[in-house]
Parts: sequence; C-alpha cells; structure tokens
Amino acid sequence: MRLAGLLVGLVFGVTLSWTGMSDPDVIRGALLFEESYLFLFFASAVIVASVGVRLLRGRRSLLTRERIDWRSTPVQRRHIAGSVLFGTGWALADACPGPIATQLGQGIVWSLFTLAGVVAGIWVFLRRQPSAIDA
Amino acid sequence: MKEQLPWWIGGPVLGLCVVAIRGLLNARLGVTGAFSEVIDRVGKRSLAFDWRGWFFFGLIAGGLLFALVRGDAGFEGYGWLTRTFTSDAWIALVLLLAGVLIGFGAKTAGGCTSGNGLTGTSMMSRAALAATATFFGTAIVVSFVIEALT
Repeated sequence: MRLAGLLVGLVFGVTLSWTGMSDPDVIRGALLFEESYLFLFFASAVIVASVGVRLLRGRRSLLTRERIDWRSTPVQRRHIAGSVLFGTGWALADACPGPIATQLGQGIVWSLFTLAGVVAGIWVFLRRQPSAIDA
Repeated sequence: MKEQLPWWIGGPVLGLCVVAIRGLLNARLGVTGAFSEVIDRVGKRSLAFDWRGWFFFGLIAGGLLFALVRGDAGFEGYGWLTRTFTSDAWIALVLLLAGVLIGFGAKTAGGCTSGNGLTGTSMMSRAALAATATFFGTAIVVSFVIEALT
C-alpha cells in the first residue's frame, strides 16, 4: 500500500511538473483567462477519473480487498468558506498543495515559505479539530 | 521534458492516478490529506506513514526527477511576486500568508484542487462541486485584482 502511494505520487508529481503546474506564470495565465491549457488539462483529468471510478464502483479494490464505494457529502458552509480562503491563497502564491510539493522537488527555494505556511495552516486546523480526517 | 506535456496526455494521466488509488485502495486521492498525514504523524513523533504520506514523498520525488532529467527547474524567478517586489522579505511574507490560507482553507473545505477539484468532482460529490466552483471563482477574482493593482 505504501509502495502504491509512492508510485502514484511519483507519476502525479512528474505530471504536475511536466504540464507546467509548478510554474506560477502558467497558473496566473490560466486564472486571467489568457491560456486555456489548465482548464482543458483539468477537465480531461476529471472526465477520465469519473469514467474510471464509475467502472470500478461495486468491484473489489486490489490491495485492500474492499467493496469500492463512496458517499456524497451534502454542501455545508465550511466547503464554501474554506474554498474562499483556499482560492485566495492559491491566487496569491499561484500554487496549490500538489505543485508546492513538486516545486520543492524541483529545487524552487521560494516554495519553502509557501510550504511553511501550509504546514502551519494545517497544523492549526488539526489542533482545533483532531478528528477531521476527510482531507 | 523541455516542452510542456500536451494537456490531452497530462490530464488523462492525472485522472488515471485517481482511478489507481480507488482501484487499489478504495481511497480518495488528495494532496491536502497527504500533507495532513505527514504533519499528524511527525507531530506524534512517528515516521510510520500510511500510503498518503508516501504519496506526498512521491510528489516531491516526481518534481526532483523532472528537474534532474530536464537539467533545470523549468522556470526562473517566481511569477508576479518576483516581478512586483524588489524585497525578498515581502515575497517570503506573501508566500507564507498564502500558504496559511491554502492549508487552513483546504482543511476547512475538506480538500484542495486535487481532493475536491479532481477526486471529489469525479465522484459527483455536491460538496466537492460547490468547493471547486468557489475556489476557482475566488482565485480568478483575486488574480484580476492583483493584476489591476500591480
């Protein structure tokens, strides 16, 4: 299971770097609607993921041998409020958690500051609500 | 790796990562969850990370592998920040603040661009769809504000 996590993380990381998601100017260009790349990239990822997980639903997972299923969470205030904070931070740093990790691997020294902030933000949250494990 | 990978290859590969985590572990791929796992364990003075911790190390290794094969990081400076501020301290401060908003906001919302935006929307979770629309909308507005001010 750990090896699966490591390998999928490696593929995910190389893809984020190779598609330019670690580059703040690529993110900015998308958020200012100057480039369509990010939206096409994101939409194609969502389409492939939705078809894939739908085909898997009801089968058994290969390593954990569980019946593959999930429940949908109803919309709560926290989803909106948290995403406003998250979206603001994302636009300021032009990086979200995945690319912050890949920037670190790419040797971008600036990512250390963003990373320190993310760690602080998550740490404060976990101290307030240690049971929150859904992300 | 000198050229940006076409979106129609990169997107489906990212989508297949979500499918792989679901098919192998019946779990939800999310980078904020991976960060949390590492922070939580280290806070308890343990290094016995579950798959999410190893996923996090895989991400860093992926960035490193990309830079090694390419021979450089892929870009110079740091976007609008190094173009706008002459003082490194200001850039560090903005990134630190942005990081806190990203970490605390993503935890509150139950996910980030990967957990809510990619995995959650592909499961047609209403919460994830609302969160994704909100963070994209907010990020677009804030980007235009920054663009107008700088």
